Amino acid sequence: RSQNIVPCTVSQLLAAEQVDETFRIHDVEISQVTIMGIIRHAEKAPTNILYKVDDMTAAPMDVRQWVDTDEAGGENVVVPPGTYVEVAGHLRSFQNKKSLVAFKIMPLENMNEFTTHILEIVNAHMILRKNLMSASRVPQSFSSTGIGDMGDYGRGSSLPVNGLSVHQSQVLNLIKNCPVPEGMSLQELKLQLHNMSMSTIKQAVEFLSSEGHIYSTVDDDHYKSTDAE
Amino acid sequence: MGDVHEVPRPRIATAHLAQNIGKPVCFVGRVEKIHPTGKFFVLSDGEGKHTTVELSEPLDEEISGVIEVVGRVTHQATIMCMSYVQFREDKSPFDLELYNEALKIIHEFRDYFPFG
Repeated sequence: RSQNIVPCTVSQLLAAEQVDETFRIHDVEISQVTIMGIIRHAEKAPTNILYKVDDMTAAPMDVRQWVDTDEAGGENVVVPPGTYVEVAGHLRSFQNKKSLVAFKIMPLENMNEFTTHILEIVNAHMILRKNLMSASRVPQSFSSTGIGDMGDYGRGSSLPVNGLSVHQSQVLNLIKNCPVPEGMSLQELKLQLHNMSMSTIKQAVEFLSSEGHIYSTVDDDHYKSTDAE
Repeated sequence: MGDVHEVPRPRIATAHLAQNIGKPVCFVGRVEKIHPTGKFFVLSDGEGKHTTVELSEPLDEEISGVIEVVGRVTHQATIMCMSYVQFREDKSPFDLELYNEALKIIHEFRDYFPFG
């Protein structure tokens, strides 16, 4: 189950494929997303505020924010049109029309955050696609292409996938795809991941093991994934 | 002409005007000068290159700083402005050069930042 919050463009959300209750972009399941755009329209109703948020990649998207009707006077002040905002919310589709249900709408105070968001979108979707490809049948040697460790993203509003850093994801994917009964050894991991030091690999293995993603088999140097593939 | 706000508007810099003649675009730049009639103004992009923005109605306010224009590229490689917004810089100045670098990235990696 996807618990990540993925920065997206409106165009990506519109193109996301829906299967039953889930949405997929690049074949990866997404649910919570962030978009950044300008408010073109705001309409206040008794129980919700409906915004149209425009990020230039497509037509403005409907964003609904539910109002807490118990709050007298309400904390939900309508953000005026012409304001650039960051929206965090869940993707929804009704009668083939996509929209967002927002749990946070925040006016941008520093427009450089918008530039950062653009870069985060490219980075996040590139990582999503790479993770998907490395989880295919043939384990690939995954060289660190300078995307960087996503583990210390301070704002908490974007990737890593599954709560794992790039290194942890790479190690986990290799272990998942190892077909032998005793699992993958640390030495094997080091051979496949040329750009990762043994200590980084060991740290990743320790983390994954403590989180329950992998377990040791014949000895502390061999690991298998707890996820049946 | 249709409402240009309902379609994808690729973010471009001055260098991309020629490839986008007739198309809706989004251009961000710093105000360099405003014509006395208020019917057009000049913006510079993150590389310092200038773009002329035309208006159907003269400006009814002073504009300055960083402006984001939505409009269509004319055959003269100017932009016919449909709407504009001023980027707030009250708390922090906007790094236009960094924005220009981001544009290069999104153009190079169109698959991960699709317009439309």
